[in-house]
Amino acid sequence: MKGFQGFAAGRGVVFAAAGALTLAAVFPAGAQDKPVQGGTLVYLEQQAHTTLYPPAGGFYPNGGVLNQITDKLTYQNPQTLEIEPWIAKSWTINPDATEYIFELREGVTFSDGTPLDAAAVAKNYDIFGLGNRELKYPVSEVINNYSRSEVLGPLTVKFTFSKPSPGFLQGTSVIGSGLVSLKTLELAFDQLGDATKIIGSGPFVVASEVLGRELVLAARKDYKWGPAKLAHQGRALLDGIKYVVTPEDSVRIGALVAGQGHVIRQIQAYDEKQVKGDGFQIYAPSTRGINNSIVFRPDNPLVADLRVRKALLHATNSKEIVETLFSENYPRATSIIAATAAGYIDLSDKLGFDRGKAEALLDEAGWKLGSRGLRQKDGRDLILTAFESLPQPQNKETLQLVAQQWQQIGVKLNVLAGDAGTRVIDNLDPQKTPVSPGMVGRADPDVIKSQFYPTNRNVLLQKGGTSTKVKEFVDPKLNDLLDAISAEPDAKRRLALTGEVQLYVLDQAYVIPIFEEPQAFAAAPNIKGIAFEAVGRPSFYATWIAKK
Amino acid sequence: MSSVSSYALRRTGQALLVLAAAFTASFLLLQALPADAILIKFMDPEMGLSPTQIAEIHASYGADQPILQQYLHTLGNFLTGQFGYSIQAGVPVSDSLAANLPPTLKLASLSFLAAALLAVLLAFLSNLAGFAWLRALIQSVPALFISIPTFWLGIMLIQLFSFQLKLVPVISPGPWERLILPVATLAVPISAPLAQILMRNIDEVLTQPFIAVARAKGASHLYILWHHVARNAVLPTLTIAGVLFGELLAGAVVTEAVFGLGGLGNLTYQAVSTQDTAVLQAIVVISAAAFVAINLIVDLLYPVLDPRLGRGLGASA
Repeated sequence: MKGFQGFAAGRGVVFAAAGALTLAAVFPAGAQDKPVQGGTLVYLEQQAHTTLYPPAGGFYPNGGVLNQITDKLTYQNPQTLEIEPWIAKSWTINPDATEYIFELREGVTFSDGTPLDAAAVAKNYDIFGLGNRELKYPVSEVINNYSRSEVLGPLTVKFTFSKPSPGFLQGTSVIGSGLVSLKTLELAFDQLGDATKIIGSGPFVVASEVLGRELVLAARKDYKWGPAKLAHQGRALLDGIKYVVTPEDSVRIGALVAGQGHVIRQIQAYDEKQVKGDGFQIYAPSTRGINNSIVFRPDNPLVADLRVRKALLHATNSKEIVETLFSENYPRATSIIAATAAGYIDLSDKLGFDRGKAEALLDEAGWKLGSRGLRQKDGRDLILTAFESLPQPQNKETLQLVAQQWQQIGVKLNVLAGDAGTRVIDNLDPQKTPVSPGMVGRADPDVIKSQFYPTNRNVLLQKGGTSTKVKEFVDPKLNDLLDAISAEPDAKRRLALTGEVQLYVLDQAYVIPIFEEPQAFAAAPNIKGIAFEAVGRPSFYATWIAKK
Repeated sequence: MSSVSSYALRRTGQALLVLAAAFTASFLLLQALPADAILIKFMDPEMGLSPTQIAEIHASYGADQPILQQYLHTLGNFLTGQFGYSIQAGVPVSDSLAANLPPTLKLASLSFLAAALLAVLLAFLSNLAGFAWLRALIQSVPALFISIPTFWLGIMLIQLFSFQLKLVPVISPGPWERLILPVATLAVPISAPLAQILMRNIDEVLTQPFIAVARAKGASHLYILWHHVARNAVLPTLTIAGVLFGELLAGAVVTEAVFGLGGLGNLTYQAVSTQDTAVLQAIVVISAAAFVAINLIVDLLYPVLDPRLGRGLGASA
């Protein structure tokens, strides 16, 4: 065995040296950086995609497909977060952001040959903005206050809103606003899991699918309408992309390292070192929205007291969590939103780990340390429960580490797995789950409203949301702030409001931010030009495979 | 002759009754779950829907109608071969089944075959081994096999044969290549109980008087094993083989996940965790139909195979 290892290591050295020599001799510097066309990228996915109705594109696997096959009205520059032209050449917005007029690019077609014109865009947005009961389409999360569309000319479309909707322009750039052909929109919501039925105008087209297992995309040869300011133009460089669903982590990584795949989605932080050591690339684009956090449900009397929530906030050591379970690709949170998100302010001084302070706060709130090392008050133990969230990286381990940290001050946190059904239903009951993990990605301040507003994701479980189990908790001040963010046409004022709400949420200790969640990928060394849109969904439009 | 056909008619009627009962029971049990797939999908905060929107969608699926009406509706659909839509996956259930049923059948039957071969090999080897310690060692193999977690074995086989030795790819393998490692993974735990029973049966048959006779006639041990013992020992083993088929499907869940194969196991697992009622109902009914069909065929074959049965019926009619 020892001899074998020695031989393998020796061979590696010889090969590496020989490789360096030949490369230096044959290729002038930089020659291998010239993009080449052709080849099929093998992409190993952790989970199969579900419904590909574009507003359902938030689910990581769905976004990974939709981003290749659909185009958006606008393109959000992932570096500057500015909104740039794409299918829309230009646009005008009235001062109070209730009317948007878009001028579309000429000659854009869906892959079924039908034109992507004003009529098609109007129809797409009527469904995204209003839903369709008959076809069971839900309303898109990113569109607020939508009222109607008007076709002003073959390539001119106007949208009207019932209230100011300043987040709408950014909303036209997200995965969930991918434009699809009228034929696709004639199908019912529950038929859109079949990828072959999703007809977009994107650089790739669905060629074939084995349900739940494999998806093959082919480049569209006549594609010439990529985002106007991108360096790459024309058709995609790859000939195709093959998605293979490979649920098991170790198999995905092993297959990548063994050369059976080119890119894998979802590499766990503890595997990063090994993969990087072998010369592979790790990508961890930020999802730029609400950080990976622990959220309280104040309707539950155990966490209704601000002092208790503050105590738990200071008992949580996010530095230890990131250092123990994650890597430098998971920056510690310094506010409720990511440092790269629009309107972010640094609130790290409110988030310090301070066990003494935590204990003092619990004492003050009347929770005294009992005989079994548990805090008690009026004969009740301070025992809380949370469900793990499957899509978030190492969420169970994170919650378990938090439970250990809280145990130090006499608070017990039960971490439950549970099937999806129980999880969804019990998670809507603040009495059963006073604590919950939460995060959501979107590069616009509207994301804060999405997360906290009662009629949106409602993570705090306020009255007036999906849950019928909430008795009385509602925070009108928070909701007013959220309303204001989603309807403030003045950009500067809107960012100021965004700062205000971050401060308020932390002052109320509604949320314990842990880290800024990236979507983590690994790729073979010869895969070049992988890009990510503003919330970390991959784009393979300019990707190419270099010769090894 | 008419007695036989009335027997066939009665058995067919019974089979249909069992099928109807399975359909009804599964429908009621799935209704009794605390939530349904529609709620789980649309109440998920990721959809960001309001209670009114959820209620509307719920109504648009007809899920707010009285149970009896839903029952008749679903029954009518099943009778005309419509299994509805998988709410989670967003495809017709029949498409899901068409994609998942064949690979599972292939995996399960090949694994069973491999397990049977492995069991016979182990049993014969343990009996032929020359030394007592070697026999003991081989006889303890089934205990080892049954305690290996399928999950771990699958990953080990992939690591060794696919990633280290590069013999079979796991990603985009050929149609038969795809099955080599999963079949090996599944066959090992299934072979264990088969081998154990086979070993015990061989030992039992070897104590029978007719073996002593054969031995006295000068037959070699291998000859006796092959010509006299094998047939007698295999029959009882086959009886429990049927029971093992269920275990095979359970093992397929893990194997399908590790190897990223589509299959009924994976489909069932996902449907259970999202309470995707339409998918579950179809799986239950199809499994019941398969079970009923096999039993019906066997029952209908009785009078053909054993004429006494047919006469008995005739006398009583």
